[in-house]
Amino acid sequence: MKMKILWMYHDLMDLYGDKGNIQVLKRRCEMRGIECQVDTCSLHEEKDCTDYDLIFIGGGADKEQGILVKDLLARKENLKQAMDQKSFVLLICGGYQMFGQYYIDGDGNRIEGLKFFDYYTQSADHKKRCIGNIVAECELEGRKIRLVGFENHGGQTHGVKTPFAKVLKGHGNTFQNGYEGFYNGQVLGTYMHGPLLPKNPEIADFIIEKALARQYGKVELVSLNDEIECKAKEIMIQRCLGGK
Amino acid sequence: MNQLRLYFIKGIRWVLVKMGRGGSLPGTIALKLDPRILSKFHMPKIVVMVTGTNGKTTTSNLIVEALSACGLKTIGNRRGDNLREGIVTLLCANADRHYKVQADAVVLEVDELTVSRVFKDLSVTTFVVNNFFRDQLDRAGEMETIVRRIESILDDYQGHLILNADDPNVVRLADKALQASVHFYGVDKTEHSLVLSHEASEGKFCPRCQSPLIYEYYQYSHIGRFHCEKDDFGNNPLEIEVSHYDEQAGTFTVDDTVYPAFQNAIYAIYNCAAVLCVLKVNQLPLSKAAQVFSSFTLKEGRNEEFDLGKKCILNLIKNPTGANEVMKYINAFDYSRNILIILNDHVQDGKDVSWIWDAQFEMLMNEKTDIIICSGSRAYDMALRLKYAGFEHFEIIEDVGAAAARLKEQNKESFVISTYTALQPTRAILRRLSK
Repeated sequence: MKMKILWMYHDLMDLYGDKGNIQVLKRRCEMRGIECQVDTCSLHEEKDCTDYDLIFIGGGADKEQGILVKDLLARKENLKQAMDQKSFVLLICGGYQMFGQYYIDGDGNRIEGLKFFDYYTQSADHKKRCIGNIVAECELEGRKIRLVGFENHGGQTHGVKTPFAKVLKGHGNTFQNGYEGFYNGQVLGTYMHGPLLPKNPEIADFIIEKALARQYGKVELVSLNDEIECKAKEIMIQRCLGGK
Repeated sequence: MNQLRLYFIKGIRWVLVKMGRGGSLPGTIALKLDPRILSKFHMPKIVVMVTGTNGKTTTSNLIVEALSACGLKTIGNRRGDNLREGIVTLLCANADRHYKVQADAVVLEVDELTVSRVFKDLSVTTFVVNNFFRDQLDRAGEMETIVRRIESILDDYQGHLILNADDPNVVRLADKALQASVHFYGVDKTEHSLVLSHEASEGKFCPRCQSPLIYEYYQYSHIGRFHCEKDDFGNNPLEIEVSHYDEQAGTFTVDDTVYPAFQNAIYAIYNCAAVLCVLKVNQLPLSKAAQVFSSFTLKEGRNEEFDLGKKCILNLIKNPTGANEVMKYINAFDYSRNILIILNDHVQDGKDVSWIWDAQFEMLMNEKTDIIICSGSRAYDMALRLKYAGFEHFEIIEDVGAAAARLKEQNKESFVISTYTALQPTRAILRRLSK
């Protein structure tokens, strides 16, 4: 088996260690004997998104986001085709925002989004950001999973009809929102850095299964020893929620 | 009333110093009593302020020593108390009853985020900015925010502005400082300069026109010689140009004069160039700096040695760039070793530890490294960083004391790298284990 990942704007959307997600996906595939190819795609590079099982965009600064938006919008049709052909999409922070209607940055500039979904993002007051450790709970195909991460975003994302997770501690899509991210079965957008996947191995495996499904249908992944991952997560949950 | 307050603060500081405690508590109290106290001091003719992400403490300490060597009575916040409270503490301690600062020169290391809150009150005459790297995003926010805040105070600044010519985010400050005397320093290509960089995360685009910047070479991270083909951004004449850095000999050359490097590392050469530039624009003899460079010793937690039976070297890490440079330093040693990494996530460390995924810990994963012990409040996060890079020989011991004891028990040369809040406790533990 082989999984192909397209890591878009790896050199621009690279602000909060989100590259760790790629390392985790690759390694968890390889530990199970699944080959994992990671290709990068930056400005003006020709890549066909429909070739890939998983498309990933991380978080970046406002400035970088403004620079790449033209390039991204030019790929809209190609991305649409890829999604129609069942590529899975993982988006963190800035990447998540850009799949919505638009983003109004801290200076009031309106950056158009890909408009695949209804949600839209407005920057909060210049000095206010949602910052801190976050604990949330999601339900993926009937299974409840607790997640930990670190959020650090000024952007307030409104109009999310299908959030990814319920916030137990932290902010989420807007200040004290109660809900975090976006998930529609094929596109997962979230504000959770940390990075997201090292301490949430269940999510990593879920994404691998979803991505592999494009080529191989339902795949049963061998379970791995996740003792350290679970302990790291548990420490953060304990710290944020106490005995709850 | 003002005088009474000042003497009250001096008294508190005197008591604290007698108790063997430094710190910026007197400044905190002074600011409570008088929030405008900073604007009351009469500053001397030379006021040097140093800011940037990495190397401010070392650079400002070098400047203090160089100015002293020139015969000027110089004071500075030498211990790195670089917030407003620390500056107030220093000035209170050294002011007479008319708030006149009793010195010929003041050298202030100031946190990047604090600069805009204190700059206009301090009659700065020489302002040095050495570099901007990604650092504690949860506390500082995006780099753009920091740079803009510093830009905002430069519009009417008329003193000397000393800038690292090899960092695009520093160079852009010149465009906002239209009334200042701007001077640049830089380091020419060395044998270790790279044409391509895997470490650079900033400096990709011209701040004026957003075109991609062209790099002739990189020194480390995004520091290097660059220019914009469209608008010439980056082509600046250098006031201090290090024309040759001889790593073998530990010397560098400026205008045909050879200087000793106080530390054999490229970033240290940049610090030296900044110091020389401060002397030059203040018309002081550069030869005095040479004396300082040859005798200067680094501060606590900078290549600090302990004897645990076998040699143990401690270093502080704060952000990806600094961590990468420490790991390059460790790799320059040929012997096999154990490594202890202490990762904390308190406010001063940055509560967000995601930066460890941006630092290249892969550099430590080679045949010379026997085991890596992960410790501190985020020991498990560090372990995951190593695990997913494919490294298996790690141990997790959250308690720093136990981790250090384990290191000693191994009886092997070792390196310890620690984040900020773990540094002093770790030093105390290593000292105890050295006995």
